[in-house]
Amino acid sequence: MKRVLTLSIVMLLCVFSFSVTKLVFWTAPDPQQEVYWKELVAEYEQLHPEIDIEWSTIPAAGSSEEAILTAIASGRAPDVCTNIFSGFAAQLVEIDQLMELDELEGFDEVVEKRKMGNILEGWKIDGKNYVIPIYSNPILMWWRTSLLEEVGFDSPPRTYSEIYEFSKKFVIPQERYSVQVIQGRNWWDRWFDFITYYYAASGGEPYIDASKGRAVFNDEAGKEVATFIDTMFKNDWTAVELVSNPFYIGAIAGGLRGPWEISFAQTQFPDIVNDITISPPPVPDNYPKDKPIYTFADAKGLVIFKSTKHPEEAWEFVKWIFTKEDFDVKWLEYTKMPPAREDLLTNEAFEDFWNENPLAAEYAKYVAYAIPPAPITQTVDVQDLMTFELIEPLMYQKKDVQKALDDAVKAINKILW
Amino acid sequence: MAKKNKNLAKKEAIKGFSISSIYLVYAAIFWGYPFVWLFILVFSKWKFVGKPQFVGFKNITRVLSDPLFWKTVVNVFRFMLYYIPLVLLGAMLFAIALNKLKYGKTFVTLSFLVANVSSGVAYSIMFSNLFAVNGPVNRLLYNLFGVTIPWFSSPSLAMFSIALIVIWKFIGYYGLILYAGLSAIPESLYEAAELDGANGFTKFFKITLPLLNPSIVMVMVLAITLAFGIFTEPYMITGGGPMRSTLTPMMHMITTAFQRMDPTYAATMAVFVAGISFGMVWLVRKIMEREVDLV
Repeated sequence: MKRVLTLSIVMLLCVFSFSVTKLVFWTAPDPQQEVYWKELVAEYEQLHPEIDIEWSTIPAAGSSEEAILTAIASGRAPDVCTNIFSGFAAQLVEIDQLMELDELEGFDEVVEKRKMGNILEGWKIDGKNYVIPIYSNPILMWWRTSLLEEVGFDSPPRTYSEIYEFSKKFVIPQERYSVQVIQGRNWWDRWFDFITYYYAASGGEPYIDASKGRAVFNDEAGKEVATFIDTMFKNDWTAVELVSNPFYIGAIAGGLRGPWEISFAQTQFPDIVNDITISPPPVPDNYPKDKPIYTFADAKGLVIFKSTKHPEEAWEFVKWIFTKEDFDVKWLEYTKMPPAREDLLTNEAFEDFWNENPLAAEYAKYVAYAIPPAPITQTVDVQDLMTFELIEPLMYQKKDVQKALDDAVKAINKILW
Repeated sequence: MAKKNKNLAKKEAIKGFSISSIYLVYAAIFWGYPFVWLFILVFSKWKFVGKPQFVGFKNITRVLSDPLFWKTVVNVFRFMLYYIPLVLLGAMLFAIALNKLKYGKTFVTLSFLVANVSSGVAYSIMFSNLFAVNGPVNRLLYNLFGVTIPWFSSPSLAMFSIALIVIWKFIGYYGLILYAGLSAIPESLYEAAELDGANGFTKFFKITLPLLNPSIVMVMVLAITLAFGIFTEPYMITGGGPMRSTLTPMMHMITTAFQRMDPTYAATMAVFVAGISFGMVWLVRKIMEREVDLV
């Protein structure tokens, strides 16, 4: 009898262990997100004991993209992965790695339930949906309230001329600058300066016409932005190589920031948090006052890889995530980054959070006006050329504004063709 | 007897082979396999998935006509131009000073080696703060003389500033190699030279320098290989700018492989860089290496 019992237990264990489906799930290597996903995965596993989610952050490498590509090359791609930006998704689609999500059963209900129909339009690649955006971070200007008041500004400068006026009163060479206009020389820095300024100046027009494969930013809006950058550098009102954390030590009064910086400010510089005023990116002087100001969206999404052996289970898991009632509320609480949904300001579920987090609430206002980067596969080259042909020549006064713009557009069109 | 000897030789051979097999297996996996794969990639088109497609010499001709790649190679030569003479001079002075020290040798050596074992990311952040426009160095210069130095923002100065940081890192390490060479020179040679009336200058150029030749060549070889692999400092501090003046082949290759998704082209560039650095090492050894005999 004893032997029979032992044998049955062993058999049951065997059957049980073989029936568990393993899903590999990678998320962004970010402390706040890690805590969040860990809890979520544990909850799913408890609800679905037949599924074993092997969750980890994207392995350490130069970038998430590098780690994912290496995994694809060695046949170890995850089943589900987050932290994918639209340009990288376009590259992965080009090499046929992503599952088309809109043909899966229940996709429309997920979109409807999460209120992200319009947002998804901006994520389409060749008219199809391969990515579900998790969050959409509008890029906004942070100002030190006390520094603005020091030179008689009750509210943040709205236009370029107001920034010039502020700069004249505020800047002390080698000590403090008004605005950090250019973030750096890496290709991704262009998202957080030129492209953000361009979206703001043009009223949300694309800088690259992806359907025609042409750069179009050498227009009136582009010229306004380039003149702004040129003026700031010409007058030494801005600098790039600044000491660490220039905003918090008062070496700059303002700069473009994403909502991820809120958690950083709260933990590293709690005394400064109450001295922060958030405003939209600056616009040209003739920009209508009643028109909404657009900005760049640093947005990342989730994908399912085609190589998955369990597409149904993976989609069930993804569906569960995005239709979960408190998924986005909890996401906000943990990460302070606005979920990619259109009812952030009207949905009562978020109300308490906005009341308790006024800085994050400012970001929520601009989610509807935040536009993701151009869905092209040559993002790196395009933005590298933007740096080399446009931004650096303006920084060092090597070219006039129109020539810098024309050179950049010409060089970019050459590779887009 | 002959049979016994043969058996012994066979046993020895097996023993030797078993001991070295660990290294052979290691080399086959971590050196041989990537090496073969690298050459397959050079002649293929491949984007991380599927089978590489043979494209002949297309990648090679593309490298030959890529101005950006050759710009990065020129940048390495510019780096070496600043780095090698300064680091050699610094390391030599360090070695001579260490040789003359009577007390606290270990402390001085360890102090210099701290730079060598520091994290590249950490000291890159430290130096970019130190030399920032509103950093302590420029603030001091501005207060004293009313000028500032665009350490990392001038296209002609940025690579020199990067070279200074790498010199700081390696001066102790190279200095120790030279110090080991200095300690091996017998004191009797100097004594004999003094008897012949040689002064300090003559002793240095006729005894020290020639006898240090193997150590100097070794430092040169290490410095050249380092120059072609430089990545962390420009990546962290200048991002390859200003105006691509600090863009190195390693940075260009990594961006090409993992962000432009073109690993086959990156592999071809890697082969070119390896070839050029090997050529440089060969040239330096050919020109500088002398046989040194202390008997």
